[in-house]
This record gives sequence, structure tokens and C-alpha cells, in this order.
Amino acid sequence: MSWVLSIPLAIPFLTAVACYLTRDTPRAAWISVAGSALLLAASAVLMAQVLAEGVIAGQMGGWRAPFGITLVADLLSAVMVVITAITALAVAVYALADVSAVQERMGYHALFQVLIAGVTGAFLTGDLFNLYVWFEVMLIASFGLLVLGGTREQLDGGIKYVTLNLVSTILFLSGVGLLYGMTGTLNMADLAVTVPRLENQALVTVVAMMFMIAFGVKAALFPLFFWLPAAYHTPAFSVSAVFAGLLTKVGVYALIRMFTLVFTGDTEFTHTILLWVAGFTMVTGVLGAAAQQDFRKILSFHIVSQIGYMILGLALLTPLAIVGAVFYLVHHIIVKANLFLVSGVANRLTGSTELGRIGGLYASAPLLAVLFLIPAFSLAGFPPLSGFWAKYVVVKASLDAEAWVLAAAALVVGALTIYSMTKIWAEAFWKPHPEGHAPVLSALPARDRLALVTPIAALAVLTCVIGLAPEPFVQFAERSAAQLIDPSDYVATVLGADAAEGAARIAALEARE
Amino acid sequence: MGIAQPLSQTDPTLALIAALPFIGALFPGLMIRAGRTACAASAAAATLAALILLLTRAPAVMGGTMIEARIGWMPQIGLEAALRLDGLGLMFGIMILGVGLLIQLYARWYLSRADQAGQFYTYLMLFQGAMLGIVLSENVLLLLVFWELTSLSSFLLIGYWRHLPEGRQGARMALTVTGLGGLALIGGMLLLAQAAGSTELTEILARGDQVRESPLYVPALLLILVGCFTKSAQFPFHFWLPHAMAAPTPVSAYLHSATMVKAGIFLMARLWPVLAGTEIWFYLVATTGLVTMVIGAAIALFKDDLKALLAFSTVSHLGLITMLLGFGTADAAGVAILHILMHVMFKAALFMTAGIVDHEAHTRDIKRLGGLLSLMPITAAIAIVTALSMAGMIPFNGFISKELMLEETTHFAWAGSDLALPVAATVGALLSFAYSLRFIAHVFLGPVRDDYPHTPHDPPFGMYAAPLLLAVAVIVTGLFSDATLGALQTAAADATTNGAFEYHTLKLWHGVTPALMMSGVAALGGLLVLAFHAPLARGWAARGPFFAKDAFDWGMEKAAAAAAAATDRAHDGAITRYLAIFAIATLAAGAGAFAIGNHGPGSRPPVPVTTVDAVGWALLVAATLSMLVLYRQRLLVLVLLGIVGLIVSLAFVHLSAPDLAMTQVSVEVVSIILLLLALNFLPQTDPEPDPLPRRLRDGAIAAAVGLGVGVLSWMLMTRDFETISGYYLENAKPGGGGTNVVNVILVDFRGFDTFGEIIVLGIAALAIFALVEALLDGRASARLANWRPAAPRAADRHPMMMVVATRLMMPISLTVGGYIFLRGHNEPGGGFIAGLVVAIALLMQYMASGFAWAQERVRIPYHTFIGLGVLIAGLTGIGAWFAGYPFLTSWYDYFHIPPIEEFELASAMAFDLGVFLTVVGAVMLALYSLSRIARRTGEEVNVEAMDYDPSVEAPTGRRT
Repeated sequence: MSWVLSIPLAIPFLTAVACYLTRDTPRAAWISVAGSALLLAASAVLMAQVLAEGVIAGQMGGWRAPFGITLVADLLSAVMVVITAITALAVAVYALADVSAVQERMGYHALFQVLIAGVTGAFLTGDLFNLYVWFEVMLIASFGLLVLGGTREQLDGGIKYVTLNLVSTILFLSGVGLLYGMTGTLNMADLAVTVPRLENQALVTVVAMMFMIAFGVKAALFPLFFWLPAAYHTPAFSVSAVFAGLLTKVGVYALIRMFTLVFTGDTEFTHTILLWVAGFTMVTGVLGAAAQQDFRKILSFHIVSQIGYMILGLALLTPLAIVGAVFYLVHHIIVKANLFLVSGVANRLTGSTELGRIGGLYASAPLLAVLFLIPAFSLAGFPPLSGFWAKYVVVKASLDAEAWVLAAAALVVGALTIYSMTKIWAEAFWKPHPEGHAPVLSALPARDRLALVTPIAALAVLTCVIGLAPEPFVQFAERSAAQLIDPSDYVATVLGADAAEGAARIAALEARE
Repeated sequence: MGIAQPLSQTDPTLALIAALPFIGALFPGLMIRAGRTACAASAAAATLAALILLLTRAPAVMGGTMIEARIGWMPQIGLEAALRLDGLGLMFGIMILGVGLLIQLYARWYLSRADQAGQFYTYLMLFQGAMLGIVLSENVLLLLVFWELTSLSSFLLIGYWRHLPEGRQGARMALTVTGLGGLALIGGMLLLAQAAGSTELTEILARGDQVRESPLYVPALLLILVGCFTKSAQFPFHFWLPHAMAAPTPVSAYLHSATMVKAGIFLMARLWPVLAGTEIWFYLVATTGLVTMVIGAAIALFKDDLKALLAFSTVSHLGLITMLLGFGTADAAGVAILHILMHVMFKAALFMTAGIVDHEAHTRDIKRLGGLLSLMPITAAIAIVTALSMAGMIPFNGFISKELMLEETTHFAWAGSDLALPVAATVGALLSFAYSLRFIAHVFLGPVRDDYPHTPHDPPFGMYAAPLLLAVAVIVTGLFSDATLGALQTAAADATTNGAFEYHTLKLWHGVTPALMMSGVAALGGLLVLAFHAPLARGWAARGPFFAKDAFDWGMEKAAAAAAAATDRAHDGAITRYLAIFAIATLAAGAGAFAIGNHGPGSRPPVPVTTVDAVGWALLVAATLSMLVLYRQRLLVLVLLGIVGLIVSLAFVHLSAPDLAMTQVSVEVVSIILLLLALNFLPQTDPEPDPLPRRLRDGAIAAAVGLGVGVLSWMLMTRDFETISGYYLENAKPGGGGTNVVNVILVDFRGFDTFGEIIVLGIAALAIFALVEALLDGRASARLANWRPAAPRAADRHPMMMVVATRLMMPISLTVGGYIFLRGHNEPGGGFIAGLVVAIALLMQYMASGFAWAQERVRIPYHTFIGLGVLIAGLTGIGAWFAGYPFLTSWYDYFHIPPIEEFELASAMAFDLGVFLTVVGAVMLALYSLSRIARRTGEEVNVEAMDYDPSVEAPTGRRT
């Protein structure tokens, strides 16, 4: 079954090479689109497989776990890969009209595909060091994408981005080293078996905190999120869309994975910290957004604030809370990527993202207005859009857990999100353009218009579908949460690839106790 | 009275009724090409159909049957699309659809050609659907969904005239306030559902005692009330409503007077059997209502804008209804229900007349109006009838509910005082009387003026038809209240109070009662107030503005400013600060976790320290410390960095890790060379250092982090642990076909990691290339062009000796590289090291003879090296698929081709070749990027291998 797991990784890599070799021709962009479409197909096969058979695992190089590198997909991994593919396809199509020829020649499409490969790898790997490798792949590809335009602002944002992320990656690596020093293994399923049996649990908690900080930087948690607003408003719009959608979510995913699978020994300590971090992340993010006057900067701060909701779900660690976290994760990727895509079109039509300098989009580009309204109000948590259910489940979980303060914070942050979204709406859409322009979509060349609007519309439809028929999605999130809360399937599938060997190892570990 | 269980009956028509407005929302957009009339008619048709269907169900509902319909939606989280129609829902349904129909008629005439009528009707129908959904919901979560939808559609409608800044601002304010309330309501409903153990209204309503005894009752009540008060504009959340008046008048009449603002009241009535009847309910709800009633009426009296006057009057009347619900008795609730009905009729008509005046006279400023009675008599007649009803004058319908309200206030003591409520209510009624009369007197009475912005006339029939109809209703329901409203009030109040309501026949004349006397006082007082309106208004204005709106704006502004300040302080752009925050967070988290446990000393004995160890350690520490001291001299720091790298390599040798040592040494050489070249184009010293305290602070943080890592490493190294490495040692030869375990791990056991890492390397080179490319296109380009080297250049840049030596060494180095590559699987070496060795050999060549010269002799572009390397490594891995094995599964065998010894071929070698090519390509691309910078600084480019070639007579030419 391992090819089902490795194909979603091989496709973006091969696409990257192909894009790279054709980077001087317009073919590269289309290869990127085709590759992303293939990835979507492959991820759908993976999802079907996981739905049918439960957790599936494959051993790279044919070395059995925990000696070789495991790729493993449970429902969370599978859905993350699917959503990655969806975002990749949307952004690849958008890039047809958004990326300049110079950037293409510099290898934009190859970098983009490598980034997607890195994200996919991070979601699929079952090995901690391998996760580090994918983090590096993502980091270097995203740095390349950030500085591709070469403006002063981009370089400034890029340097901050890469420095802080490198430092956090080093912390991650140190954590991996220390954990290996304690357990002698890197396989995550094996760690789940080994770590609880360690004598010095306090030391495990110290290492857990290192991971929390390292992933927290990636996920843009309070107080470690400063790199995000410094960088996300600078690159090409398609780049910021894929960053906004996917990159921080890899950090969230890693936190969810490690803090449900491996570090569950002292949840009293770790998850209480997460709880407060989640609260502060929500609040500081949304307050930061309230102070901004730029389309993309507002959206950037809202990424931070929304991450808080997902971490809140993880921190509560009840089945319903995890359902909320998973649902939120999926919903947010679609919505946030889409909002950044809309900001790109707004910029294209009005010439800026500064809210004071633009306007008139509602009158002259009503289609765009509708397409903004859907993700914007979904983000703010309005029914019947996807964000309502996401927020609803997280708030219900907090109330069930009697985390009153955090439930209140979640609700107030929702109101402030409305405030920010309506600011964008009133300024960019309702207000007449200060210079009297009437920015119409039809001013764009037909090809560009199609390339820009189609992905936005598709993602908006997806938001509505999740909103109007949430039941299958919630059911899915429930199944996924069940797997996360009781990872015995995950562990057994990974370690039991060679059933007898896995059993022997587990027995050996038990004997050691 | 016992709780009567209503009969219930399932009827899918209910779902159709609820869906009709949404279906109708699709029509206007399609019909707009056929004109405004078609557009309005299509919307009205859907509304009418829904109304007729609703009315056909009315007899059954009035008979006490509850109609239900349900569609499964999300049962896991307690949400079902369950609808119910009972008396309360029926009354609100008739109001929503009936007034909706009139508004659609009115709006047809009100909107001008320039307005986008299609959008208007679409939003209006969406609102209608959402509002109808609220009143027909059986499931409280479904109710929430519709609740939020009304906020959203109200937002779009308030901002409909988007060119008006006050419209945009009013829309945002309304949405923020009601949105906040909606979110509070989510919390409240969740708690309520938890307390009652169900999300179905029928269940919840039957479990009032259980809920009121639950510890969740108070938080649930508070949150739900925030939702209701924000929506129904109760003090102190009342301020958004007047600003919502920037909307077109039909919207004000429909949403912000007749229906949406009653959603909060509806919900209080809906949950009345569960929530009402406690002390906290009484004091919260009744007091809020009373305060709102008086304050709203007072502000209304001094407003000069017709719509603002009506808006605050609405606030006041909503307060009145809230107060009645707050009393907590079935009788009072019944009066509240009655007043909801009365208010809808006169207030909708009044808004429409205000709209007509605005439309005809082009102003709604009372100061510029007056004397309209003779100019527009029909409008005036409608206005006078409905305003008198608002004032509570006999024989209009407002009189009946106002009398009953005044009477109710005499039944309750507020904080022990019997007089408080009646007195306050009388004041409210007095002010209400005054502003109603002012509406009549200052707009329609008095002399005709000659300075109207536009001379007003009665509008076409279509425009006054709707208010006229309502005015007639105001009179009829006043005169024949029992016959017209009795049954509806009973049905609705029964549903509200769970059957506790007892009907008292509605009539105009009850004899001389305390309520009538209070009314009399109010009327006389009102006349008096109106007579002294001008001086009072001056006093009111002099009192200075205190409006919650200002507080809201002020709060929002301050919050945003504070947020901006905080954000700016934390995000000042200084990377050192970011790193400091990161380090402190890490320290705090780690130390906190560390402090939990008891950490004893480790069990493993330490290795003895030899002299060599000590010297190496001392060098390492000394080099690192010197780096800190000398950090401003960049070249020196680079040298020290080299020392650190070298000692680390030696440590690897010492600890029997030759592979790591070789890798480390070659990485050191390559990176130091590249750094040296890059440093060439940077200032030689660091800019001015930070002040000492700051450096000390940063130093302390850094030292603490270092110590922390040190302690953790120490703790681990002094303990034994079980590891999987034994497996690697055992299986490297039999499984991976190589005796060099490190190399087998790299290309086989964990080849997947290596695959990822070579991609990182390749992309890094690409990123450098892109960065330099951008640099040379940007502003830095000009700076580079004027760049002057800090130190004098050597005259002999490409010395002959070096050229000759490197040329001689080239084949040797390449052979060494090949050797290292080939033996890598069994002895220390491998593709990565070999790649670095070859890269160093090439680097030397470039340094000796200059980049351009060497460049011309390279046949394959570096980009291709990288691409090929990744491709070969990837394809090797994929090859395993075709043999039916997982990605990157290796294969090896032994071959014997005479006369060579038997040798081994492994697929891992192909993988290693990919690694090799990528490494070479990445290093060379980085070098190429640096040389491009050099070219820009005006460095000359040589075309010959060396500056002075003894085999040629003349010195070689140069070009730039």
C-alpha cells in the first residue's frame, strides 16, 4: 500500500523538476497546474483508502518500523493532504495570471511545487527527524518564494521570516536529539510506546516544551508570531495565499500530532499552557488586526487569531474539542487562502491594498464582492458558512469543559473579527474609490480574469458546501478525533507492518518496564 | 394553571412557508431586467404566497395545535432543521409577511431609478426569510443560524446606499453590536441547552424548573439577555439603532422598527416560560426595559431628524415591551404581546410617512418643516392618526396597550417601592405623548413655509397605500379591539406563557382607573413639555452630549489605538527583540517544566578526560568567547568560526566518527570560502554596537539558553538508553550491501531524509541565485556599482603559481572525489563528501583563474546539475515501485567482469550519484551568484587563465 502514500509526495517533486527545467517557457505554469491536479487525484485515492481501511502505513526503503522511515496516514493526515492539494490547485491556477515573467524565470513554479511537497511530506511522515527534513524543505522553498520579487520590503520580511524560523527549526532539531537520547528511536508511533515508559517524566516535559515552542513559532502562536505579520503581506498574492492557508497549519498539525500521540504524559502542565497560549493568541491577533489599515495586513493578523481557536481545541483535549480543532483546521485553510486570493484581485483592480487608497469594488465588481463576502463572513463565524460550525464546536467544547474565560474570549474575538472584516468591506468595497476609478473585472484580459476568479469561486463554493451540509464533515472530524484520542490503531499499524516483529518489539518494551 | 401540553401535528407545508422567502430572493435578480415593478411584484408574490399558506394554518394554531416539520441536519451536535408553528410564531409570522408585503409595495415607489432595485429586493427577501426562520424555529441552534442571518442582511441593507459614509459606518456599528450579541447568544443557548438537556424548544420549555435550578441558569440568562438587548436596542446597547437609520426608509420601517429589532423581544417571549419569574429576571429585564423606555423617549423628544425621532421612539417602545416581559406574570406578558401588535401598525406607518415627507420635501429636518397639512393632506391625515396612536390617545389602538401597561406597573414593587414603577412609567408616557404631538405639530401644523428644499405634494397612490392601510388598521383595531385582535393575542400569549395566560376582554373604556389618571397626567404634562420645547431643547443641548454611541466610538478608537501601540511596540521590526522574546519564552517554558520533577544524577560513569580532550575543549571555548568579544571584526570572526568547525571535526575523529569528520571538514571549507567571498562585498566591521546594558541583558539571555541546553545534554549523556542503532550495525551489510553503516543509513535506511535534504540544498542555491538576481535589478545595484574595496587589491590577482598548482591538482582532486564516492558504501566517504571535495577542487580553479575564464569552460549549466541530481535520486527511489517494493527500496548484487576483481553494484549508488550532483551544482551556483555581484562592482573579468602568461609575449588583455 506504500505507493498510495508516496505518490502524493513524488508528484509535486517531479512536477517541480519539470517546472524547473521548463522555467523559461510558459509551459511551466501549466505543468504546475497539471501537477497540482494530479496531486489532488492522488490525495483523493489516499483519502478513499484511509476511509476504507483505517490507518495505513508504508515503510520507505522497505525497512520495517522503527528502523526505516515510515509514511503513515490516518484521517487527519489524509484530510490535510487533500486540502493541501485543493489549495495547491487553486493557487496554481491563480498563479497563471498573478506571477510575473521574471518570477517565473527565477523558478517560481518549481519553488511552489517543492513547498507543496514539503507540506505534504510533513503531513504524511511518521518519523520525527523526517518531519524536521520536511520543515526544512518548506522553510527554504518558502524563503525562496518570499524574496522572489526582490523588493526591499520583501527582503526585510524574508530575512525576519527565515531567521526566526531557522532558530525555531534548530530548537526542533535539539528536541529531536534529546528525545532520541532518551528513547533511542525517532519513529513517532514507537515514541508513543516508549515515551510513557521513561523514568524521568519531568525531563520528557522539558523536551515537550521545546517542541511546543518550536512548533509554536511555525504555527504563529503567542508570543512567537511576530515573523508572520512582518512577512506575509509582502510577496506575490498567490504566494501569500498558499502561506496563509498552509504554512502555519503545518505547525498546528505538528502540535496536534505530537501532543495527542507522544506528549500526553503531563497534560496538566502542557495542555494548560496551551490553553492560555490559545487565549492570548486569539486576542492579540485580533487586536493587532484592528489596528491595521492594509487589506493583507489585516488578514495576516487574523491568521494568528484564528490559530488560537485550533490550539484551544487541542488544549482542551476532549473528543469534541479535537473535533473542533480538526474542523477548524480544514475550514480555515480554505477560507484564509481564498481571502488572500481576493486581496490579490482587489489589488489588481484598484492598484493598492491600502484601504485608504482603494474602494468602489462593490459597485463595479459585484461578483468579487460576493466572493469576498463568503469567506470573510465565514471567517467571522456567520451561519450558514463553514466558520460558524467551526467556531460553534470549539465554543461548545470550551463551555462543556467549563473553560468560561476562554469561551468568552472566543466569542469576543469573533465579534472583533466581524469588526475587521466589515472594515475591509466598507473601505474596499462599499466606499467609492477615492480617485474616482471604477475598477471593473472586465478590464482584465479574459484569460487572467478566468485564472483569477475561478479558484476564488471554487473555494467559496466549498465554504458554502461545508456550511450548508456540515454533517459529513463533522462526522469525519469525529472519526478523526477518535483516532487522535486513542492512537492505538496508529501505533499498531505502524509498528505492526511486520506483525510479529512489531509485537516482539512491544513485548520487549513491556519487559523492560 | 397547569402546563397545557399542546396538540402537535406534523405538516411539511411549514418547511415550504419558511423556504418561500429564500426562493423569492432569487426572483428579483432575475426580474430586474423587466423593470422595478416586475422586480417588486416577484418578491411580493413569494411573500404573499407564504402569507396565504400561513393564514390557512391559522385556525388550527389558534385552536391550540402546534404544527411541526423537521429535516435532519446535524444531529450529532444537537442541530436539526426543526420548525414549529404556534400562536407566538403565527403572530410574528403574520407581522413579518404582512408588513413585508406592504413594504415591498411602498419600496417600489420609494426607490429611484438610480437605485439597484434588484439587489434591494434580494436582500429584503433574504432578511424576510431569516426573520421568519427565527420565529418558526423549534431547534434553538437553528434559531441562532437565522438570528445571525438577520444581522448580516440588516448590515447589507443599512449600507445599501454605500456612497453615504454614515451608511457604511452605521452598518458596521449595527453588525458589530448585534454580531457581538449573536455570539453571546451562541454561548447562552449552548448553556441553556446543557441545563435543559435538549436543543428542542418543546423540551426546553417543558423543563423550566430544571433550568432555573441549574447553576448554569444565571450565566445562560446573562448571555441570552446580551443577545436580546443588543438586537432589540435596549439600553446601553441602544445606540446602533438610530445610526441604522442611514438605510433607505423602507428598510428602517421594516427591519428597524417592525421586525428585526423585535427579534430580541421575540426571544425573550419565546423563552419566557423557562427564564422568567425569578428575581434576577425581574430586576434585569424590567429595569432595563424601564430605563430604555424613559431614556429613549427623552432623546426622541429632542431629535430634529424625523427618522431619528422615530428611531428613538422605537427604542422607547421596545423598552416598554421588554419591561412588561420582565414583570414575569402572564398578564403582563399578554400586554407585551398586545403592544407588539399595536406598535407594528402605527410605527411602520409613521416611518413610511416620514419617508414620504423626505421624498417630497427633500428634507427630514423638523426645523425646516411645518405647515404640510394643507400641502399634503392625505399624508398628514395618516401621520396624525398614527402619531396619536403612538401617543396613546383614545380611541386609537395605542391607547389600549398603553393603558394596560400603566395598569400593570401598579402591580409591582421595585426594590420595595410601590411608586417607582408607576411614576417612571408615567414619565415615559408623558415624554412619549410630547414627542408624538411634536411630530404632528412641528411637521404638519403651523403656517405653510416658502423655504422647503422642494415643494411637497401628496405622492402617488402606490406610495401612500401601505401607510393608509395601516392607519385604517390603527383605527379599526382601536375601536374593535376585542373582535380583531382578541383571538390572536390569546393564541400568542398562550404560547408565550405555556398556557398560563387568561384573556381579559379588550376594550377602550375601563372606567376611571388609576391607569387612566396616569394617562391624564402624562397627557397634560406632555402638552406642557411641548409648550416649553424650545427652551428645554436648548437646555438639553447645553447638557453636553452623552451618547452610548460616543462611548462606543471612543472605546473602539482607544482599543484600536492601544492595539496599534502594543503591536508596534512588540513588532518594532528589530530581529534581536524577536529573538529575545523567543529565547525567553523557551527558557520560561523549559524551566517551568524542569522544576516539576526531581532530577538525580545519572548512572553512567563519565569518560576520563585526556590532555587532548582538554586542549580541544579549551580551544573551542576560547574561540567561541573570542568570537563574542571580536564580533565587530567580521573577517576575524570568520577565522574563529573556522577554528570551531575544525575542532568539532577533530572531536568526531576522536570519537571514531570518520564519516562525520570528513563531512564536517569539507562543509567547513566550502562554507568558509563562500563566506569569505561574500564578506568581500560587505562592510568589514559591524555597525555601532548596542549600549552596554542592552548587550549585558542579551548576553544573559543567551548564556541562560546555552546553559539550559548544556544541562539537558549532560543529563542525557550521563544516562544509559536503549537505541535502535544496534539494528543498523547488524543489517548494514546483509540488508544494505555496505559495511559503512553511516553511508548505508544516509542512502538506504534513511535515504528518504537525504532525498529531502538534497532538495533543501538545491533550493537554497536557487534562492541565493534569485536573491542576487533581484539584488542586481534593484537599488542595491547602484550601490554596488559605486562600491570601492576597503583594502587595496593585489596587483597580481591570478598568480601564475596558483594557476599552475590548481591545474595540477585538479585531476588529482577529481580522482580523490571519485574514489571517495565509489568507496563510500563500505568505507568512510560517499556522495555528499565526494560532491564537496569536487566542488572544492572546482572552487580552487575559479579562484585561481577567475570566474569568467572558468565559466567558459563549463559545458553544463549548474541549474541542470541540481535538477539532474534530484531527478536521479528521485527516479532511483521510484524505480523500486516497478519491482513492487516501497519507494527507495535498495537493490544490490555482485558482478564479475574479467579482468577486474568482483565488484558490487547497488541502486544506492545511483541515489548517491544524485546526492553528488546536487551538492556540486548547489555550491557552484552559489559561487556563480557571488561572482555576479563581483562583476557588478566593476571587477574586471579575465579572458586568460593567468594575469601574466610567460608563454605569451605581451600581457594578456582584460575586459570589463
